[in-house]
Amino acid sequence: MSNAVILDPADRSPAGTQARGVVQAWHRLRRQPSTLFAVVVVAVLVVVAVAAPLLAPYAPEATDFDAPLSGPTADHPLGTADLGQDLLSQLIYGARTALVVAGGSVLVAMLIGVPIGLVLGYKGGWYDRIGSRGLDIADALPGLMVGFVVIAILGRGMAVLVLAIGLVFCMNFARMTRAITLTERKKLYVESAHVSGLRERQIVFGQVLPNLAGPLAVQAAVFLGSAIKVEAALSFLGLGLGDDQPSWGGMLGLAAEHQADRPLMAVAPGVAILLTVLAFNLLGDGINDALSGRRTTGRRRSAVLGRLRPPTPPTLAEVRTARSAGPAPEAEPQPAPAGSGATPDDDVEVPADTVLDVRDATIVADRPDGSTVTLVHGVSLRVRRGEILGLLGESGSGKSMLAKAVLGLLPPGVRLAEGSVRLNGTELAGCSERELRAVRGTGLGVVLQNPQANLSPVHTVGRQLVDVLRAHHPLSKRDARARAAELLDLVGVNDVQRRLDQYPYQFSGGMAQRVAIAIALAGEPDLLILDEATSALDVTTQSQVLDLVLDLRDRLGMAIVNITHDLGVAAETCDRVAVLYRGELVEVADVVDLFDRPQQAYTAALLAAHPTADHDVEVIA
Amino acid sequence: MNDSQPLLDVRDLHVDYDVAGAAGWRRRTLTVVKGVSFTIAPGETYGLVGESGSGKSTTGRAILRLADVSGGQVLVDGQDVATLGRRTPLAYRRAVQAVYQDPTASLNPRHRVGRALTETLARHGLGDRDARRRRAAEAFEQVGLTTDHLTRYPSQLSGGQLQRVAVARALVLEPRLVVCDEAVSALDLSTQAQILALLSDLQAASGVSYLFITHDLGVVRHVAHRVGVLRGGELVEQGATRQVLDHPQHEYTRALLAASPSSHPDGRDERRAERAARRAAAAQATTAQEAA
Repeated sequence: MSNAVILDPADRSPAGTQARGVVQAWHRLRRQPSTLFAVVVVAVLVVVAVAAPLLAPYAPEATDFDAPLSGPTADHPLGTADLGQDLLSQLIYGARTALVVAGGSVLVAMLIGVPIGLVLGYKGGWYDRIGSRGLDIADALPGLMVGFVVIAILGRGMAVLVLAIGLVFCMNFARMTRAITLTERKKLYVESAHVSGLRERQIVFGQVLPNLAGPLAVQAAVFLGSAIKVEAALSFLGLGLGDDQPSWGGMLGLAAEHQADRPLMAVAPGVAILLTVLAFNLLGDGINDALSGRRTTGRRRSAVLGRLRPPTPPTLAEVRTARSAGPAPEAEPQPAPAGSGATPDDDVEVPADTVLDVRDATIVADRPDGSTVTLVHGVSLRVRRGEILGLLGESGSGKSMLAKAVLGLLPPGVRLAEGSVRLNGTELAGCSERELRAVRGTGLGVVLQNPQANLSPVHTVGRQLVDVLRAHHPLSKRDARARAAELLDLVGVNDVQRRLDQYPYQFSGGMAQRVAIAIALAGEPDLLILDEATSALDVTTQSQVLDLVLDLRDRLGMAIVNITHDLGVAAETCDRVAVLYRGELVEVADVVDLFDRPQQAYTAALLAAHPTADHDVEVIA
Repeated sequence: MNDSQPLLDVRDLHVDYDVAGAAGWRRRTLTVVKGVSFTIAPGETYGLVGESGSGKSTTGRAILRLADVSGGQVLVDGQDVATLGRRTPLAYRRAVQAVYQDPTASLNPRHRVGRALTETLARHGLGDRDARRRRAAEAFEQVGLTTDHLTRYPSQLSGGQLQRVAVARALVLEPRLVVCDEAVSALDLSTQAQILALLSDLQAASGVSYLFITHDLGVVRHVAHRVGVLRGGELVEQGATRQVLDHPQHEYTRALLAASPSSHPDGRDERRAERAARRAAAAQATTAQEAA
């Protein structure tokens, strides 16, 4: 190692993060009353089951021949069964039975189903084709019938019941496991494990299985509830446990026999079954929400934290030493001294041809605890008619947030806290959604990174163009279609009439991006915002799309904001470039000045780090 | 650069994919790599550039034995990998490693990142538990991480740190060849420069060879000793990096270079005019062809 590598400043203690994870999970839980209810019910159930001997006033099978089939009395609050057994005690011991049978059968189902699903999903091919048909056949058998057959062959008893119910459910686990494994095995970490030489067994059970934990937990919770229902059904039919075993299903069976004289006997076991099944189902939903919630909030949190990171020395300082270029570093990015061709963007006088005037824009994200995180800090920019302004920055620099603020499309919880955004002199900050919508179509057009994702896959390209056109102009369908054809022609799509009736998937990436540009141009915008519009394209396609943008600017004279992380794209297309770093405007300068005489250390380091095909930078290391 | 036996010798490589036909049951084969030949010497970096669909990643996958070779040979140290049998021997896995584009996807989200290394070492029977931990810690240090990072989950590390972990995992086995498939494409410029510098340092220290698969001509210029330009599964041009990039012989290489954004705005209007002329000429050629 010739150079000491500086660590990316994302150091958070794992223990702290983990603890925070638990606390957060609890907070989320608290905000889901139904899940809290489920947790309480299940906890009570577990306590009752474990402490049954302590809680029950009598042994479950203890008979009291003085009071057979009594109604509720002081001695027997829920009454007694036909041999005088205490129903309350039976109910309490029944909880034990219910949990053991449900837990056991779900365990059996998972032990059988999960490995089958893993193998089918992972192996694929013929294994999967034959195995899946097998699952289909197994699924076609009615579950209860399978239970009957198993019990008919093996006799009654706890173990047999657990096995019978387990067999009923194992196919569901196999099916779900297979589906998730199919998607997981295509992921890169599985391929990496292959390349590391791990055995298939290690990959399937060590690498893939842990990623199934969440969905399996949800499924298991739901099936616990179902298992209790099946157990109750089988016991009710007298096929479940022996008569000496207290169970809710058995109690229901007894209640059915004495329906006429003791109609209330069914209430207690019925309520117990209902509550338990409901609790397990709600728990399943809760786990599901918690898991999906964690994923999104986790990402949001890290995204916010990414911008929150204190201004520790940039990793670029390191690059600079490696490349031995650039001026001495400065700690704080200063407002740029105006270069020769640069327009200082914070002067008071606004040139008449200014299209976009952003002043002191501060964008903050509100956090759940009431504090705010500043994502963009007091940025001022100005774009004139016919000008292409580049917004250059790395991930987390706030460049896209700034664009979203202009478009009025900030994500929920993120807002423009200070500053003004003027489009053709009209203040956009504080506008209602309705007012913004009017502006967005006609004043503003936007082209985003992934063209296929931004076009509706179920509508033809022509329909999408016509819809946008008619939303902004009072046009007949025929006129709108003619205009749509003109627009497609304008962005360089050939064979326009045929193309109008095609769907986005029939377009290549570059062509789809041209269509996206055509849609953005439909409202004849004064300002076109390109947000990494060519980043996902191959270089030849990228150059075509960029050249198209330049041509359009020359012909239509609109102002363009080109957001990019690519210095080369900025060099080829922009008139002026604004460099953003961690939410701050580092400098704005004429493009040639910026590349020739960067005023700020950060810009210089960025330039030094840029590998290009057309000339040599000092060879690394 | 080396007149002894090359480390990797790819001869007339063909790779086919089975694609399900329109009706679902009629399968047809699609040849993705059509007769690619190149060599990599020990300690050398070979850049394979091309646009999406050019077969560059498939070539890498064939060398990693993740895609079946349907024609030609891949020789590592003179041994044809086709003779290795269906199960790839551990020795081969140890010799040929990979670093992928997206480090968040190439590390198991449910495992602490250190496990990627210790598990690999265990599989290869290298050292006991303690020795493996020490080795993993050393490897982390080598790539500029600390032992603290060993116990993190992927979600707790930044993209650059994760890519360092991926590099550490690849190099902990002391491989002879590492296939870097777009290994820096998803990274920020500053992080990208760091990882490139790291890879160079490690190469200087260990003499490992890299097959550097990328779409970025700028990156190739900086890391590769030699470069091959792939288009539609065929190698249209290869040679010393400077030679190919400064004096491209093939029209496609020239077009690719013309399309690559420059590092400086100077002369961009001329470049734009040149691209327009190139496109017009190409369009004319196609119409002429259609007419003929």
